[in-house]
Amino acid sequence: MNESLAKRRDTGRIDFRVRGVAGVWLRHYTAFKAGWLIEMTGILLEPIFILAAVAFGIGKLVGDVEIRDNGVEYAVFVAPGIVVGNAMWHSLFECSWGAFRRLQTNRIYDSILAAPVSMRELALGEISWGATRALMTTAAVLAFATITGLVESPWGIGILGIGLLTGFMFGGFGLIAAAIAPSTHMLTLVFTMVGTPLFFFSGTFFPISTLPNWAQPIAWALPLTHPVRIARALATGDLYLGLLWSMLYLIVAAFVFYPIATRLLRRRLLV
Amino acid sequence: MVRAAGLVKKFGDFTAVEGISFEVRRGETFGMLGPNGAGKTSTLRMMSGLSPVTSGELGIDGIDATANPRSIRDVIGVVSQHDGLDPDISVRDNLTVYGFYFGLDRDTARRRADEVLDFFDLKTRGGDSVDDLSGGMRRRLTIARAFVSRPRLVILDEPTTGLDPGSRNRVWEQLAVLKNSGVTVVMSTHYMEEAAILCDRLVIMDEGRILGAGTPDELIQELAGAEVAQVRPEEGQRDSVQRQLQESGYETAELGAIFTVRGLNGDRADLSKVSGARISYRAANLEDVFLMLTGRDLRDE
Ligand SMILES: Nc1ncnc2c1ncn2[C@@H]1O[C@H](COP(=O)(O)OP(=O)(O)OP(=O)(O)O)[C@@H](O)[C@H]1O
Ligand SMILES: [Mg+2]
Repeated sequence: MNESLAKRRDTGRIDFRVRGVAGVWLRHYTAFKAGWLIEMTGILLEPIFILAAVAFGIGKLVGDVEIRDNGVEYAVFVAPGIVVGNAMWHSLFECSWGAFRRLQTNRIYDSILAAPVSMRELALGEISWGATRALMTTAAVLAFATITGLVESPWGIGILGIGLLTGFMFGGFGLIAAAIAPSTHMLTLVFTMVGTPLFFFSGTFFPISTLPNWAQPIAWALPLTHPVRIARALATGDLYLGLLWSMLYLIVAAFVFYPIATRLLRRRLLV
Repeated sequence: MVRAAGLVKKFGDFTAVEGISFEVRRGETFGMLGPNGAGKTSTLRMMSGLSPVTSGELGIDGIDATANPRSIRDVIGVVSQHDGLDPDISVRDNLTVYGFYFGLDRDTARRRADEVLDFFDLKTRGGDSVDDLSGGMRRRLTIARAFVSRPRLVILDEPTTGLDPGSRNRVWEQLAVLKNSGVTVVMSTHYMEEAAILCDRLVIMDEGRILGAGTPDELIQELAGAEVAQVRPEEGQRDSVQRQLQESGYETAELGAIFTVRGLNGDRADLSKVSGARISYRAANLEDVFLMLTGRDLRDE
């Protein structure tokens, strides 16, 4: 090897370019803009239907729910759960189903990686877009919930941040699923085996204390439980120290899947 | 521009590229001609920094490809065997977004997108979805995309495979223009015609090895002679003809029902004594070179 070659060898410093991540994010933004009307409709209407039906329909039958020795209306109880649950669905869908299409069906990842974008940047671009979509749905449903009087505290604005972190967490999780899935069938399984139970059993629609004793620790370990718990506290303005644990869980979980997803994508694509 | 020495690619126990060495000079169009499974894609993917080098040396424009795959991708354009076009965005956005991957700002990316659309005759299709393009247009768009970043070296993996002759000719025309603009091109193909028309120099690959290297004319002259004889045995005469050819001492390869016979020292083979066959002569081509090197047809699956 001649000298100039040796000089340009990797010097061991971490090679990470923000513009690589931004490029991937902008690709998604471009695609989103092209079909934004349809996309927005999906983002807005579906969760609003669920919220309206559960809060104002079922809520009328259920009566008040106890949280921390305070009775709150069922609609107030359930709204933050639905907001955060939707954030999960959107980033999970984008980063598993959407990512799998890009990876396998259309081989777009091959093209992106042929440009100077590293796998680390590609994965973060994908997850950030999943989180962006989570943030959009969070904002939309949160606005609806606020207008209909289901958010009682100004702290509620903080739910935007919780939605974003939830988006990062499930974006990373979804990307792992996309990286190891042999076909779309397995991804469907991720929705039914992971998405659906999390959506219903993470203290979203009923307090975890109503579950049988043996199931409660499991529910507490579920990743959606913690953002829902924080979002609910922010919506009602009832903040307490125990939330710090949930916050710690959320922040760690938000970024723990990302390096795993990067590694699995490398194993699949860089052969 | 490119220097490979003892380059090896293994997939598990399987060796796809078995220690090849070659050099590509600045400004030339360099071809890799070989049948399916020859190791062309494996080699080009290593050169694109997309596939780790198992062993050997590989330098691209002064950058060590074994240590620094990303820096390579800063300076090259890649046209992979699968188009990898983005169906979720328009034809023009496919190009603009590709500029974003290179870190171009919005205005520059748009300007470059329009330039290459224009050059590759896709201007009127800019707003269409890539799904609505014909095969030839898709391929041209993929090639156009590789030029958005103004690369010094472009790597094309089978640029015209699967295209009808008309579309193939258009791609060739445009590649010829680009070649004259000074960009270095490395391309793979399994069409000898394509290699002969576009490539200044080429290597012939089979089963992970380079079997011959040189300009198309050199290869033909050296390995097949100026003219080859085609010997078509008459009904029931195959074995007798084969024996006569063996006795004649000329290098012979059998393909289908025809023997191809190579002359000596550039002269055509003298087969006047061979009986029981129809004999004709034609100019030798790269296909004959491959046949002489391997005893097989280039198009064999
Ligand atoms: N990811 C992989 N894992 C295992 N084997 C592989 C992989 N990629 C390629 N191969 C094998 O390596 C050999 C060379 O493949 P390669 O794709 O480089 O050939 P090629 O010359 O490009 O052929 P083609 O004309 O069909 O594109 C083939 O036998 C192929 O099956
Ligand atoms: Mg190939």
